[in-house]
Amino acid sequence: MSAGGGGGGAHEAIPQNNIIAFGVIGGLVGIYAAYFLVDMVGPYMSFLGALGAICGIIWGAAAVRRVANYGLGTGVPSIGMLALGIGVIATTFGLAVGGIAGPVVALVFASLIGLVVGVLANKVLNMGIPIMVQSMIEIAGAGAITIVGLSTSMMGTFVFFDEIANGMIISQGVASGVMTTGYIAVIFIAGGLAILHPFNANLGPDEKQDRTLMLALEKGAIAMIIAGIVASINEGASGSLTILIGLALWYIGFSGFYDRVKRDAYDVVGTGMLPSKEELE
Amino acid sequence: MIDIVGIIADDFLNILMITFGGVLISLGVHLVPVGGAPAAMAQATGVGTGTVQLAAGAGLTGLVTAGFMMNATDSMGLVVASGTVGAMIMIAVTMLVGQWLYVYGVGCPPASAKVKYDPITKDRQDLYVSQGTEGHGIPTASFISGVIGAGLGGLGGSMIYFYLLSIENGLPEADFIGIASIFAIGLFFVNAVIPSYNIGGTIEGFHDPKFKRFPKAVFASLVATFLAAIMGVVAIGGM
Repeated sequence: MSAGGGGGGAHEAIPQNNIIAFGVIGGLVGIYAAYFLVDMVGPYMSFLGALGAICGIIWGAAAVRRVANYGLGTGVPSIGMLALGIGVIATTFGLAVGGIAGPVVALVFASLIGLVVGVLANKVLNMGIPIMVQSMIEIAGAGAITIVGLSTSMMGTFVFFDEIANGMIISQGVASGVMTTGYIAVIFIAGGLAILHPFNANLGPDEKQDRTLMLALEKGAIAMIIAGIVASINEGASGSLTILIGLALWYIGFSGFYDRVKRDAYDVVGTGMLPSKEELE
Repeated sequence: MIDIVGIIADDFLNILMITFGGVLISLGVHLVPVGGAPAAMAQATGVGTGTVQLAAGAGLTGLVTAGFMMNATDSMGLVVASGTVGAMIMIAVTMLVGQWLYVYGVGCPPASAKVKYDPITKDRQDLYVSQGTEGHGIPTASFISGVIGAGLGGLGGSMIYFYLLSIENGLPEADFIGIASIFAIGLFFVNAVIPSYNIGGTIEGFHDPKFKRFPKAVFASLVATFLAAIMGVVAIGGM
């Protein structure tokens, strides 16, 4: 039994190539802007990293939507967990090895693992989904951007190691601030859910691209708010602006999603109050 | 700049053992009775959730028990055994509680639709399968298969963890453990999803005809884990 999907290509109002450009460029610009502006302007600019992560989340959700529409046979959540699983491996490698180029290295190596898994899925496992290879590259890359973006917004930097001078820690890095403390688990689930949930919640014959992506924005905003809460206890980043912008984006995302639900549904009616005990007897 | 070739040459045994761990996880997932959404409605044999969730539950428990043992001893045998048993206990408890729900809650007998007789107890199966379903509950063969599968998964996961932690580097211990754990979790998810695509989301255990497909997923996991293991070892070894 295949869970979800009509077994064919998905109709898309926005071409996938535009969304790829949006995810890659928006994600990297957000991450680098956060990194430089935190140094130049102040810790409260760390919210830009979460905006970059939201670009990655929307890209990932669009890619999941395209590939899962063929019917994976396993349910949509598996592919979101795969994205973040590859993303976390590539991010650890990229940030540890890449230095200032860390996010780009992470993106490139995530895409590389995605390419290998996609080719294996089609050639060895015979899944026979024509866009599998491209989609796996996209999903893995989106997972990496989401992890790097949320980490940057939590720490105010994507530098992996603590900066130490004269035995004193000047600024905390991602390794000790996000990975050792366990916030990476929060990123894993909040980011993974934001990528897998939009299509999982909307799938069906009346699924529309803009409704799914609006839900991705709403889920991304929740991840942003959580990153803001974490940032509020870190010195390098400031949480208040992240939380406020996250709340505003959540409102835009949720009301936009609800408007589209009302547009696509035949009718939306309230159930009213539960009948009282006397009325039931 | 990190001496990438030197690190790979020094830690090649670690890369091989991490890859082997990934292969064990991939094989283990084929043995766990995953029913997916149909099983959640008692319309297919197995536990009513996806491969990834089951594998993650068992694997993460295995990591916790392996990590706890790592705290007490450096002996690889004890660490790996602890991880294996932790994962086995976790999946056994999950299946047992699921079984109670199917028997006492839904009210259906555990029965397999893939075989006529249970390969272990030799009990007749097909008479007890409700019409329109592909079996329900967790029959004995599936239960035992699941415990073996979780054991293999826990063995693989704790081997990945152990061999990541035996790479020489200059990290503070707390950071090292954090990074190795999250890396092992990432590998666990990748190796849980690959076999789940192979089996199409549901499997009953070693008696299911789909089980014969396992060499494909094992090969796919071998390639993917090898690539990821090189990246992990270079990243951690260069720190």
